[in-house]
Amino acid sequence: MVTTQSPSTSLAKLVKAPRWTTVWDQVTAYLFLLPALLIFAVFSWYPIAQTVIYSFQTVSLARPPVWIGLQNYGRMFGDPLFYVAWRNVFDFIILSLIFGFIAPILLSLMINEMRRLGHIFQVITYLPTLVPIAVALLVWRLIYAPEGGALNSLLQLVGLPQQLWLQDRHLVKLAMIVIMTWLGAGGSVLIYLSALKEINPQIYEAAEIDGFTFWQRVRYITLPLLQSRLLIMLVLQVIFVGQVFTEPFILTSGGPANSTLTPVLNIYRTAFERSDFGLASTWSVSLMVVLLSFSILYVWLNRQREEFDEQ
Amino acid sequence: MNNNRGIMSDVEWRSLGGRFTVTLFLIILLLISLSFLFPFFFAFTAGLKTSSEIVKPGLRLLPEIAHWENYTEAWRRYNMVRMFLNTFIVAIGGVTGRLFISAMAAYSISRLKPFGKSVIMSLILLTLTIPGIAYLIPLYIVITDLPFLHVNLVNTYLGLWLPYAGSAFVILVLKNSFDQIPQDYYDAAAVDGASSIRMFFTFTLPLSAPILLVLGLLAFVGMWGDFLLPYLVLRNSEVQTVSVRLFALVRDFPLNLQMAGAFIALLPPLVAVLFLQRYMRGGLTF
Repeated sequence: MVTTQSPSTSLAKLVKAPRWTTVWDQVTAYLFLLPALLIFAVFSWYPIAQTVIYSFQTVSLARPPVWIGLQNYGRMFGDPLFYVAWRNVFDFIILSLIFGFIAPILLSLMINEMRRLGHIFQVITYLPTLVPIAVALLVWRLIYAPEGGALNSLLQLVGLPQQLWLQDRHLVKLAMIVIMTWLGAGGSVLIYLSALKEINPQIYEAAEIDGFTFWQRVRYITLPLLQSRLLIMLVLQVIFVGQVFTEPFILTSGGPANSTLTPVLNIYRTAFERSDFGLASTWSVSLMVVLLSFSILYVWLNRQREEFDEQ
Repeated sequence: MNNNRGIMSDVEWRSLGGRFTVTLFLIILLLISLSFLFPFFFAFTAGLKTSSEIVKPGLRLLPEIAHWENYTEAWRRYNMVRMFLNTFIVAIGGVTGRLFISAMAAYSISRLKPFGKSVIMSLILLTLTIPGIAYLIPLYIVITDLPFLHVNLVNTYLGLWLPYAGSAFVILVLKNSFDQIPQDYYDAAAVDGASSIRMFFTFTLPLSAPILLVLGLLAFVGMWGDFLLPYLVLRNSEVQTVSVRLFALVRDFPLNLQMAGAFIALLPPLVAVLFLQRYMRGGLTF
């Protein structure tokens, strides 16, 4: 390459197009980019920067913002609700990793063994991911209703004690994780199933000959081969659950006793119920820091996986 | 090589132990499928009951008498035609804007070599790592008072179409798709004197039609069901979408009509799955 470079570059200089063509090419290139650049500037980049700026200001819609230094940060860190909200998100994440994360893995392993029939189960688990979440929550609220609710009626039928699913602070998070799993499992199943299809069947054939049972193959072949993808889905799930808002907003308004208050719900309330846009932005910055660090972890893991796949 | 096999081989699958395991899986999957479908079924039958029958204790899956008129009443009193029309306008406008603007940007980055290409791409990808919810407040303020133009977009569909238009994910997927179109096509078109605009419309877009369709369907479903942004932007009941309107009206209607309305609102996504499932079989990995 190096030896042939000098003659070819001099040739390129000789036949290089006149300058005005290059300028015109750039104009065309930027005209194609312009709408997207404008949209991203106004609706993403500017608001991202503005969130950080607002976090140091008193902001209301009526008056121009006033700089107040770190006061908002002082108020945020001095507010016990800050720790309550993040603790709640932490609980949500732990519960979602126990239930929401494991469920799609088991589901896709079982669907994968169903051969042709598997497609039906795949479509059924995917259905809830398509419905408007706010509408689905209206239905779930009635399923969880203390009296006449479908779930309590079912418990009564089999002789188990009825529960206040959305009013008991020990149960409410679990009740919401069930809904989130219902809403989200289908998407993960889709990804896991395509990953399972990518595994070379010859590996299983070789393991069979060596006397590996079905469960041993799952344990020593399938799961290790899926490991990088599992990690990525885990990080994505943490990012997703970190933003939980609609479920507590519609079902419990953050109750009972603030046990489902989340940072996003508090941002919403601080901004749109108390018109304190500055403090809400400070909370947003805390959310940004947390989500951004998990996103960076995601990008890093994804790169690791691509390198792993290439080997 | 049999690609259709699972972790079990075909021989094992037919053996006694294999059949036992598969039957066990089948039973578990049937139970799980039933519970996944239950909320749909529940909304449907609760919509057929009387309002006092719904709150009666005891598990009754089917109504004593099916009150089909609940559905026509919900349809009429919720003004669901208006609701669906609004949601459709929001979603179709949002999808069109997103696909068109993203395709243009992806084409430019992929083929037209703009100066500072990598910087632009990194700035676009940055928005993938910060979810919109984290900068909701300035976004809302921008929508209420657009920079330079000072236009208030609250209660207008533009207030949703514009923020929906920018999607780093769609640009990334389309750029990768355009990258795979052979350079020969562009060279041949250039020899024929075709302009960049012509190359964009005559073969770049048509060759990517399948991926545009999938991205469009996914975006449509997402916008159809989006809640928080439409809730903030569409304050006037005349312009509200299904999600926002049904939630806003909850207190004003008896439970049976709520459920009838909810079930009607759950139907369009089920139609969407009929279109999507063809791609699911092929393994949609994004």
